[in-house]
Amino acid sequence: MTAATNTPGLRVSRRISEYAFLIFCWAATAVALLFLAAILFALLKQGLGGFLKPDGHGLDLDIFTRSTPAPGSQGGLLNAILGSIMMCVVAMVGAVAIGVMAGTWLSEFAGESRYGKVIRFLNDVLLSAPSILVGLFVYEILVAPLKGFSGLAGSVALALLAAPVITRTTEDVLRLQPTALREASVALGAPVWKTIWSVIWKSAQGGMLTGALLAFARISGETAPLLFTALNNQFLSLDLTKPTANLPVVIFNYALSAYDDWRRLAWAGALLIAATVLTVTVVARILAREPRRS
Amino acid sequence: MNAQLEAMPETAILDLPPEVVKLAIKDLNFFYGSKQALFGVEVAFAANAVTALIGPSGCGKSTLLRTLNRIYSLYPGQKATGQVLLDGEDVLAPRVNVAALRARIGMVFQKPTPFPMSIFDNVAYGVRLYEKIGKADLEARVEDSLRRAALWEEVKDKLHQSGLSLSGGQQQRLCVARGIAVKPEVLLLDEPASALDPISTARLEETIAELKSDYTIVIVTHNMGQAARLSDHTGFMYLGKLVEFGETEQLFTNPVTDRARDYITGRFG
Repeated sequence: MTAATNTPGLRVSRRISEYAFLIFCWAATAVALLFLAAILFALLKQGLGGFLKPDGHGLDLDIFTRSTPAPGSQGGLLNAILGSIMMCVVAMVGAVAIGVMAGTWLSEFAGESRYGKVIRFLNDVLLSAPSILVGLFVYEILVAPLKGFSGLAGSVALALLAAPVITRTTEDVLRLQPTALREASVALGAPVWKTIWSVIWKSAQGGMLTGALLAFARISGETAPLLFTALNNQFLSLDLTKPTANLPVVIFNYALSAYDDWRRLAWAGALLIAATVLTVTVVARILAREPRRS
Repeated sequence: MNAQLEAMPETAILDLPPEVVKLAIKDLNFFYGSKQALFGVEVAFAANAVTALIGPSGCGKSTLLRTLNRIYSLYPGQKATGQVLLDGEDVLAPRVNVAALRARIGMVFQKPTPFPMSIFDNVAYGVRLYEKIGKADLEARVEDSLRRAALWEEVKDKLHQSGLSLSGGQQQRLCVARGIAVKPEVLLLDEPASALDPISTARLEETIAELKSDYTIVIVTHNMGQAARLSDHTGFMYLGKLVEFGETEQLFTNPVTDRARDYITGRFG
């Protein structure tokens, strides 16, 4: 018998403190979830309302087939949806290329060298840089000199936000790959680039894809950097050298407007982004959990 | 007793006749940064024979193995001085093409390291690096390598499944097959059975015994029974030095140095 089980007083007080701690944890979790639920509830209620026809009967597919309307007229979000997709895709292509290469360099070549440490630190700073700063930066280097807002400038701003996320996650998952795997490939006479290309990346592909999807989830709702770069476009345009409509800025403008149908579209757009981010996050989770198979 | 102790030499290294030597190591020193891990190792490994390296943890067995194919040169702080002569050519010379060298000296590691690809691609990986051979030739090579590694019967119907789907013992034999598929001359085995169960170990040992006729095999092992069963020559290392090297039977039954005798009879290590 140990001293603890011998002393009823100690046993009771331990039990009480254990319950108190447990209750505190439960309460904190409940508060956090309560707000999340409230936000989701408001978004679903108002957002789903946005997908109904104004008279409340039947689905309003105009959201996907028509562009943003003038006040008082019928319209949808087609131009904003397409603009957002185009800008995000272009941004992700650039960010994945930069982020994967930079993360690979940090993990496989930089090691603990001073140069590597500096780059890693700067990347972490960039990772938490306010997105409005990135927007202003791209405004200064692209929009102002070229004298025009454009979807490409928006893509650059989004890529600058996504690349540090991908760099970081790529470095982290590559570092998790066993040293023996690298040595086994090199011991067969494979050059380092071949080892990285066919063994290390392949072994880490699930984690790297997860990082890319999380970066996509981050940029798909960014508004501030697009205000200074892509601006907005009332009409459907596939030309990324011109101002380009996008969901976050449309939501921003329409949510502040006095028109009911604009506010309805803003809620629908918000729901659309939330649903996309949720889907992407769930997919990322599933990919991260998948056991290593080829 | 005292007289007997004095009579025992500090080190005893058997000189092999030059015609059987595949790998000759001369005055080899190794450094992890500023820490020296090998001190003037001088030994030769015979062709078509198994040489075992034994000794307590940290004595430099694995380090010695890792200098032979220069795998250490992946790490900037690590450095070797001296000579490692493969058929008379110095492996440590700066101009040596290390990739080509590693194709001549294969290595199998402590833990199984299958690549995240199919069983077939695992074995073909090294072959594809160096040889442009047709599909049929490649398939024949893969089958031959898997047969030699005693794995063919177990995987012949699932060559396109992931190498990661195999059991630990099968994965290790897959790594042996991958190593011999590139037709190396020397095979380095770094405690290849330490992560395996007794049955898998027995199968791996059979494989090694069969491979002996074609390769020069150097095996690092903590299992003295394994060293005694498998090897023709055994080297005993202690604190970065090769203390005794000789015929396995002689070393295990009648070691001539104090250190080796104490280790083998279980007095330390």
